Amino acid sequence: MSSSSGMLLINPRRVWRLTSAILIGLLFIIPIVYVVMISIESPNQFLDHPLVPPVPPSLQNFSSAYQQGDLGPQVLNTIIYSLSAAGISTGLSLLIAFPVSRKLIRWSSGVYGWFVIGICLPLPIIPLFIEARDLHLYDNRIGYILLHVEPGLPLGVILLTAFISGIPKELDEAAWIDGAGYFRYLASVIGPLAWPSIVIIFLYSLLAVWNDIIGPVVLLASPNLFPVARGVYSFYSSNPTSYTLLAAAVMIVSLPVALLFVVSQRQLLRATMGMSR
Amino acid sequence: MWGGLSVGMVFYLLFGIAPALGNVLVSFTNYSGLPGSPTSFAGLSNYTALLTTEGPGFVSSIIDTLFFVVGVTVVQNVVGMLFAHRLQGQGKAATLLRILAFFPIVLGVTVVGIVWLLLFDPESSPAQALFGAFGIQSAFFGSNTVAMPLVIIVQVWQNLGFTMVVFIGSLKMIPRSIYEAAGLDGVTPWKRFSSITWPMMAPAVTVNVLFAVIGSLTTYNLIYILTDGDYGTNTLGMLAFNSGFGGTPDLGLGAAVTVALLVVAICVAVPLALLLRYRERRLLA
Repeated sequence: MSSSSGMLLINPRRVWRLTSAILIGLLFIIPIVYVVMISIESPNQFLDHPLVPPVPPSLQNFSSAYQQGDLGPQVLNTIIYSLSAAGISTGLSLLIAFPVSRKLIRWSSGVYGWFVIGICLPLPIIPLFIEARDLHLYDNRIGYILLHVEPGLPLGVILLTAFISGIPKELDEAAWIDGAGYFRYLASVIGPLAWPSIVIIFLYSLLAVWNDIIGPVVLLASPNLFPVARGVYSFYSSNPTSYTLLAAAVMIVSLPVALLFVVSQRQLLRATMGMSR
Repeated sequence: MWGGLSVGMVFYLLFGIAPALGNVLVSFTNYSGLPGSPTSFAGLSNYTALLTTEGPGFVSSIIDTLFFVVGVTVVQNVVGMLFAHRLQGQGKAATLLRILAFFPIVLGVTVVGIVWLLLFDPESSPAQALFGAFGIQSAFFGSNTVAMPLVIIVQVWQNLGFTMVVFIGSLKMIPRSIYEAAGLDGVTPWKRFSSITWPMMAPAVTVNVLFAVIGSLTTYNLIYILTDGDYGTNTLGMLAFNSGFGGTPDLGLGAAVTVALLVVAICVAVPLALLLRYRERRLLA
């Protein structure tokens, strides 16, 4: 008697929590599962019954997509572009944020204000394109990297200025004023103390360079210089109905950022939680 | 110190501020961007072209922009708030789902765009199978009626994790003692939310609303992948890009659209930011 009533008395709150969790999970997992599934389907199976999991799975799409899309060099390009642009951008953010935060220059708050405005501005891609051509930064690796430094600066300067103002000024006087050079002081004292925010700024600007699509469409013309975003988009444009190949290409180019996310998700989510202070 | 600072500032002025102001200069020319074509001062002709019927649909683009910005901001914040309440806990499932919801931000617009084009392919896709079962045929991203709602959904799907995590960060900062005090008075969950949680989350609402408004107003990269501005999704950013680099490239016209977008962005963002700050001070005082 008591056991059967226990079966019937389902806690509605528990049911609701379980259902809502499953629904949220499905919203984010279904698109990923679908792409993974069709990436291991042969084109013939996709034609017959695309929504049935393939038995046996085929890895043919991955090698075909890798070769046809020329994805190997593109992944390498993307790694070079995003590591160098994000590295320079983060370094420069620190070099601007420290004097601004310490008010070592006269118009510190004015300079800071210009970076706040910078966050709201739409990307001025047309003048950038003209500048890139005139300064010989168009369609080459160095130029592409230099043009991708600036977008990371506003957020980097704002976050680091806030963080550095929490580091006691007395440290400056103890170390830097007494002989240690300015850059050595930044590298050996401020850098390690501000490391958590430096990592976040680096990650956010790295992802921005990695995932940029407008930049590579406007600022590059030679396919051998393409990063993956442009490469996989060109692949889509020329094979819009090669669904299984496309799914494999999408997975190949996502693998590096997916791995990066797995190792950095804790820091990324924690930093984002603090965005509203 | 000056060396490091000035290198940083040169980058910012040269590739941030100068091109932003350069838009205004370019908008007064007929520069096509094609090699060898002559460029001359064109006065206000790009601006008058925008306002006449021969222009590239400037007025309809403003309407598209309005739909996109309002749609994205409302849906992203309402759903983000709901998900934040469900996933704020310390449990394994909540932690895993938070990470999962954040993943599309990392994947980037190109991959997210192509994934949704595959999901909603009109020929063969899960959406086609699902709606086909009810006898509904649609071109989805190629349909004048459905494309804009779908684009809004994908934009929200991609950025929902960010909005939700910002809300969760804010929820965690509300002191337990406030709820305990309110619990003694026996208030309903809705009253608890509207009188305590919602006002206490004012700073997070400011951040999330501003990010959603500015982001959806100024970025068009996802729209570029999904529809290239066709089928009623031609927001101002998309129009600026396609005027400058599309079939008949006209950098002057594109720059004029960008200047218009800049004016709209400032006229919307500055009063909105002030209003939200005022609201914060009033609610948290």
